[in-house]
Amino acid sequence: MVRIGELAASANPGDVLVALGLGSCVGVALVDRGRRVAGLAHVMLPESPKSGPQLRCADAAVPALVERVLELGARRSQLEVALVGGAQMFAGQDTVTVGARNGVATRAALDAARLRIHAEAIGGGKGRTMRVTVGGDVEYREAGGELQHLLPATGAGAARHTVEATA
Amino acid sequence: VSTPYTELQLDTLREVANIGSGTASTALSQLLTRPVDISVPEARAVPLADAVESAGPADMAVTGVVIPVVGDIPSVVLCVFRIADSEKLCELLGVEGGSEVGRSALAEIGNILGTHYLSSMHAMTGLALEPAPPQIAEDMLGAIVATVLVEHCGEDDLTLFIDSELTVEGESCSLSFLYVPGAAGATHLLTCLGMA
Repeated sequence: MVRIGELAASANPGDVLVALGLGSCVGVALVDRGRRVAGLAHVMLPESPKSGPQLRCADAAVPALVERVLELGARRSQLEVALVGGAQMFAGQDTVTVGARNGVATRAALDAARLRIHAEAIGGGKGRTMRVTVGGDVEYREAGGELQHLLPATGAGAARHTVEATA
Repeated sequence: VSTPYTELQLDTLREVANIGSGTASTALSQLLTRPVDISVPEARAVPLADAVESAGPADMAVTGVVIPVVGDIPSVVLCVFRIADSEKLCELLGVEGGSEVGRSALAEIGNILGTHYLSSMHAMTGLALEPAPPQIAEDMLGAIVATVLVEHCGEDDLTLFIDSELTVEGESCSLSFLYVPGAAGATHLLTCLGMA
């Protein structure tokens, strides 16, 4: 279980990393399927505030997660990335929501780490739960919905399998 | 930077919540024409992940009504109804649960509860606390609570939340009611109560 603002990684095939109830938060999964290493961060804020735990923020959590999976034997060139979350939970909010900002900040942090996003279910208006099986699949379920498959991306040479969330 | 609160300060906040939820329960009771009980409120300052966890199973489907609070303390009231309870409330109000009218009725219940809670807090502290229009979502409990907490006090070291539970007598129907003042707001509130 990866709670809000926390991250976890594992090299034990079959271990399941789960982020429950991702609303405005973003779940970031890094997977090296060949080496059977996976990591999951439950990002809560876009940028680190001046004080407090830093790993809850995209700009700190992404590099920390990359470091963790590399330590466990993952290869940077083989890392597959999946993003889930960043929803706007409440209709009628006119300001740019934390969810949208989390999505943008997470992309920027992955960019800075020179990692490409392979699959995502970002935005929309529903909360989601994300499951990462070490050595296996990355899946998510939207509130009131069915389990959806994200990684491995389907289709030969699918560069980017984007799942458009329903608003 | 948030301050750790003393037990006496938390007790003060519990008492404020007790009076506030008492007022709110009277209003709900009039609306439903049934007695409504309140639990002893809880006031706690914990890391955000713990606050989300203490709300209940993160995966559980619930209806959440958010009432943003503007004025002296930008803060938020969150009412959470389990699906079975939201359907029961709709039934008591004579509207169809899960329908647009049902959602609107739940938003209105949230609005009435929030307004009474805030006006009782205003009476005690003199603070201007105005409810903004309610926002409603049917979603996972964890996603709703986390999103509300992150938006309103995500940058605080600790999350202070004041939690009450209202139960409609004889109907096994209850709802929980959360007030989240934020660290700066809590300090302001305690100052007005002479407890800073």
